[in-house]
Order: sequence, then structure tokens, then C-alpha cells
Amino acid sequence: MRVVCAMSGGVDSSATASLLLEAGHEVIGMTMRLYDASEDERKGRGGTCCSPAEVDLARRVCAQIGIPHYVVDERERFQREVIDPFAREYAAGLTPNPCTRCNQHIKFQPLLQRAAAIGAEAMATGHYARNLFGEALLRGVDPRKDQSYFLFSMGRDALRKVWFPLGTWSKDDVRVYAEERNLPNFAAPDSQELCFVPGGNHGDVVQRRAKEMGLSTQALQPGNVVDTDGNVVGDHDGIHRVTVGQRRGFRTRTPERRYVLKVIPSSQTVVVGDVADTQTQRVEVGELQRLALEGESGEVRCTVQVRHKSVPAAATVRWSGKTATVDMDEPIRSASPGQAAVFYAADDRVLGGGWISRVEDRVNGSLEAQRAPQKV
Amino acid sequence: MRYAARRVINLDHNATTPLDARVRSAMVDVLSREGLGNPSSTHALGRATRDLVEAARRAVAAAVDAEALGVTFVSGGTEADNLAIVGGARSLRARGLPCGVATTRLEHPAVAAAAAALEAEGVPVVWVPVDEQGTLSAEQLASLVRTHPEVGLVSIAAANHELGNVYPIEAIAAAVKAERGEVLVHCDAVQAFGKRPVSFGAWGVDLLSLSSHKIYGPAGVGALVHHTHTKLAPLSFGGSQERGRRVGTENWMAVHGFGVAATLAAEAAQGHAEQLRPWRDRIAEAVLDAGGRVHGAPGLGNTLNFGFEGAPGELMCMNFDLEGIALSTGAACSAGSLEPSKVILALGQPAERAAEAVRISMGRDTTEEDVQMLIERLPTIVGRVRKAHGTLENAP
Repeated sequence: MRVVCAMSGGVDSSATASLLLEAGHEVIGMTMRLYDASEDERKGRGGTCCSPAEVDLARRVCAQIGIPHYVVDERERFQREVIDPFAREYAAGLTPNPCTRCNQHIKFQPLLQRAAAIGAEAMATGHYARNLFGEALLRGVDPRKDQSYFLFSMGRDALRKVWFPLGTWSKDDVRVYAEERNLPNFAAPDSQELCFVPGGNHGDVVQRRAKEMGLSTQALQPGNVVDTDGNVVGDHDGIHRVTVGQRRGFRTRTPERRYVLKVIPSSQTVVVGDVADTQTQRVEVGELQRLALEGESGEVRCTVQVRHKSVPAAATVRWSGKTATVDMDEPIRSASPGQAAVFYAADDRVLGGGWISRVEDRVNGSLEAQRAPQKV
Repeated sequence: MRYAARRVINLDHNATTPLDARVRSAMVDVLSREGLGNPSSTHALGRATRDLVEAARRAVAAAVDAEALGVTFVSGGTEADNLAIVGGARSLRARGLPCGVATTRLEHPAVAAAAAALEAEGVPVVWVPVDEQGTLSAEQLASLVRTHPEVGLVSIAAANHELGNVYPIEAIAAAVKAERGEVLVHCDAVQAFGKRPVSFGAWGVDLLSLSSHKIYGPAGVGALVHHTHTKLAPLSFGGSQERGRRVGTENWMAVHGFGVAATLAAEAAQGHAEQLRPWRDRIAEAVLDAGGRVHGAPGLGNTLNFGFEGAPGELMCMNFDLEGIALSTGAACSAGSLEPSKVILALGQPAERAAEAVRISMGRDTTEEDVQMLIERLPTIVGRVRKAHGTLENAP
């Protein structure tokens, strides 16, 4: 069968292509060019996923295993669907999740379209998730690598045509396999940072892009850090440099551990509190994706993750149309507007998910009306 | 399934040509020969190599009706164009003469980017307009030179790399020179050489670019042809090879191959591209029958540029590649940056149409079966690409 393998240049997608080839498929490697070389990369400090250096690596892997390789230019779409919303949401005091946006808008449809255009019947990626006969999305079996959280928004159509051969593999086994086949990147470290923010300083990227987009940069100015009673306890260099639930990006004058509870873009204020204040028991989500939730509205018992690595929390989800309310059995930490909340069944199936639009105010117990992420 | 072993139908000869067997055996002979040295050395080893280089120089000169001393070996077509335009304009400027460059937006990037680099140095660049088929007239250039006294160098290709359009270089040079004799006329003959007669002498130009690997010779060598008195500011610095116009030890193994290839190209120039024309016309007819359009004016017999609405060239080329047919979008597609073809944009087409351009360029090894295969596969591939591409554009 003719299969397009999405290749990032990393070990996972390289192993995927090799596995498919060994299974007897006609494999075609395809790599998306998503953004231009970063300053770091031009200085020779290496690149991240889909950078020009990684595109070259993907080409080398394909040459080595003997399959055709095509590079497709999706820089414009990536800018529009991922980087711009990233800047816009941070500037609005939200915590965006660009990897899931990328999976929703970039990873699948543009490549599936090209796959269809070259007569391929399926497409494969190196994600650690399982696809059950095109009907259900499940967690990958390696709990440390499971990437199903990032895939909830891929949509049922894509699910029918996309394979995840590594869903039943552990990362360690993939590395061993890649080393046995002498794939050039078997020992490459896992990328942890955002591909278009090498070095990890997303604040500078947001600032630069917000300026280019002509967004008001008023909200990105330094401001006060206040406690839950409104007392000024410190200062920060811009709301886009802090993340709800985290302790970084601001300074306080007292030694207690303070966590970001929320940001108020209109006054460039960051509200902090202690760890108990970061807890929440209810979130609302928008842009609901009902991957396995049947019906326009309903209710389901499930577990919910509000971050890629967060512990699944038992919850009741009530959905209607494109929104849902999630009531956790116990309070959880780190739920932030702009992040994804993904719902799982006990058998590891992804039921659906959405983008957190509102988080129950940790202090007053009422739903805090944070502005929802703008639909892009 | 592995692809490496499959025979590929090469319909991309404007990109490069396979090495001619006669050129290869001449090169193998030199590669295996002992008693060669650096051609700049005065000892016997150096003299032996110098003889090879000078024989090749005479061969290239004879192939385009030029003087041997007016042939400067360079690394290829790009360097020849760069040296002609940048070296030519800088030399004019250094002598206080008008040094502006007049050229079209259809030119190869080696010309267009060189002009842009000069523009950044403050050299005026005048872009000559072309019509929707990419044609222009000698009178247009004459009037341009008349109304733009700042222009000191005109650069027009003899044949366009993407469209195959050919230009009346002899008439253009005569018209420009009639206006102002001192204006330098450069002609990029990289695509024309070997496909139709190219004559530095008869055309009356000052600078002529040639490339070896487009005429079944080795890559990595080309020539800038000029009058012996033409002044060029060098772009490289070091020794005094090539009379200081292009310093650095000559790539003599490739130069030797180029000399042989140039002789063969001159002998064949009357013929092979014209022999291909009926096939070109057949493909053009098939394109029109399948609902496509042809870009440019009929020119080189081996080249056809076409497009289908709703079928990006990128996807067309992938499909043909997977069928074992090599052709090109004509667009600059290095490292995955797919810009719409600047040449098609210059014809006044919108970006979507420019992104649909596909170029086929046949060569000496093209067979009727190759052409038949292309024509047979075309409607299926167009249909598949159009259908799949439509799904994305209509997606929410």
C-alpha cells in the first residue's frame, strides 16, 4: 500500500518510515518546512523539529532507507495557525498550547491532502498513540511518551486515514530499533521545547510577533504582582512571560513560594497565591472535539488531563454543542485558560477534549470569566 | 518498495544533462593520465596541463565564434552571470561610466539576484517589461537605453530556462549599440547553447554566459565569453589565473570535458532541439486537451511550460516522480521553500497560477516512448491532484 510517512527528522518518525517499509509498504517520506532558520540555528547550535537542519536529516534518513522524500512548504499556514495565535493568546493573558494547534491545523490535513493527491491510501506519523482501526484514538503504551493529549483535536476524518505505528512501542525499543538499523538520529535527545522557540525564551518571540502583527503591546508591559487580597507583592516583565500555575517569570519581595493564579491583561497585573490557591475543581472548555462522544449533548464519567504530563483526574464531563463543563471529583492544579482539557475513558480511549475557556476562580469559588482563546 | 533501481524518464534536461559518453571517455583519459601538474606552473608538468586548458579554451571559443583569449573559465553558469553583471557594472562604475543594469524579471536567479545585489550597492536597476507571453522587442530595449542614460549594461537571456522562450539577441544588441555604443550587452546563453546556434561574434554582444553541464558536459565549469578588451572587476582575489578575471587554479579535468562538450554542442546545435519540437507540440496538445494551459511563446524545441488550474505544480511533480518521470516545477524549490515561479509571475499571472507551473525539458536521450508515457499519465495525475487539492481548499 502506498503510505506517506510524515518525517520530522527525529528518531520516532525515522523509525516509523523504516517499520512501514519493512512491513512491505510503498513508503513516501514527507517533511514540512514550518519556519525559517532561527538565529541559534544559523549560529550552528542545532535545530528543533521541522527546522531546516531537521529537514536535511529527514532527507538523509529517506536516502538511507531508499524511499522518495519530499519537502513541503507550510510556513505560511504555520505562521497563521500556530505562531500568530500563540502570540495573540499570550498577549491576551492566556496560556496557549501550540503543539496541539499544530496537530489540529498543520500535521494532518495538509499532509493528508498531499497524500491523497499522490495516490497514497494512508499516512503515518511517529506519534506515541494508538489508532484502533480508524475508529478510536488510544493512549500510547509507553506511559512516559504517550502523546494522545496532543492529538485529541485531529478529528475523526484524519483518524480514519492516519496510522501511528509507534503506539505499541516504548521509546527505548524505538531507540534500539533505530540503532540496529543505523538510522542517523537514534541517540538524539527528545525535544522538549517549542520548535519555533529554540532556547525556550517564548517571551521574546511573543513580543516580536505581537509587534509585527500590530497587536497592542500594552498588555506586554511590565506590571505589578499582587496577592489575592490585591496587595502589591512584586513585579514582572510582562504577562506573556508568566504561565498560570507556575512560579517563574516574576519577582516577589517575600520568600514564600508563590504561584501564578491568573493574569489580568487590562491592567498588566499578575495575581499570585500559594499552592492551595492554584487548585480548581471545575473548568469550562470551548471548541469541543467529540472524538468518541456521541450526541450533541450528554454526560460522561471519565478522567481528564489539563496538561500533557498532568495526572489524570476523575471527573464528570457535561457537554452541549461546542462547549463542556468539567467537574473534577477532587481539586486539581495547573488548569489554565488556553490549554487543552482531554477526556479519557478507563480503557485509554480518548473521548474528546476542548480548549479551556474558563477556570473556576480558586479564591472566590465562582467561575472566573477569562476571555476565551480566540478562534483562529 | 525501493526506487533506486528503476529507470527514470528524464524530462528535466534544462536542470542538467547526462554526461555524453565521448566527454566521459575524454575526461577519464585525463583523469588517468600521469605527468600533469598545476597549469600555472612553469615546469613540464604545468605546461602539459596548460596545453589541456588552452585547447579547451580554443574549443569553447570556436564553438561560439569567439576569440580564445576572450574565454574565461568559471565554475558554471551562475558565476558567469555574476561576473558579467556584477564585475561588468562595478568596472563601469569605477571608470565613472553609467553602470545601471537593465534586465527582465524573467531572467535566471543568477542574473536577477546579481542585479538585486548591485541595487543594494546603489547601482540603478531598470526592469524591462515583458508581455503576457514573456516576449520583448529590440525596439523596446533601444528606447529604454535612450530614456535611461544611467544604464550601462543590458542583460537578456538567449533562451529562458523555464519557458523556453527565445529572444532576438542579435537584433537587441544591434539596437542597443545603435543607441549608445558603449553600453555592455550581456547574454545568458546557458539554456540556448547546444539547443540552437549561439554566436558571440555574429550576435555582437559583449558578454556571453555558458555552462558545461547543460550541454552534456561535467558540472562545476562554465565560461564567460567576452572581448579581450572588455574590463571586468574580479569577484575573486588571489593569483592571476584567467588573466585576473577569475583567479584560482583552473578545474582542468572539468575544463577539458567542457571543451569536448562544447565542440559537440556546436555540431549538434542546428539539430537536436528542433528534432524534439514535434514531441513538444504533441505534449502541448495533450495539455490543452486535458484542460490545461501553456505558458510562454514557442521557443526552444525541447521545453514546454504548462499548468492546470487547481493542480499545484509541486503535487504534479511528486506524482510524476513516483511514476518514474522526472520533471520540474521550474520554481525555486531548494530545501522545501516553494515560492511561486517568478518567471510566471513576471508574465502577469497571479500567485496561484504561478504555483501551478510545470516544466518539461527533453534532451538527446528522450524517446518517443518517454513522451507517450508522459501523455498517458497526464490526465489521471491531473484529475487526482485537482480532486485532492480541492478538498483542502474547501475544508472548514
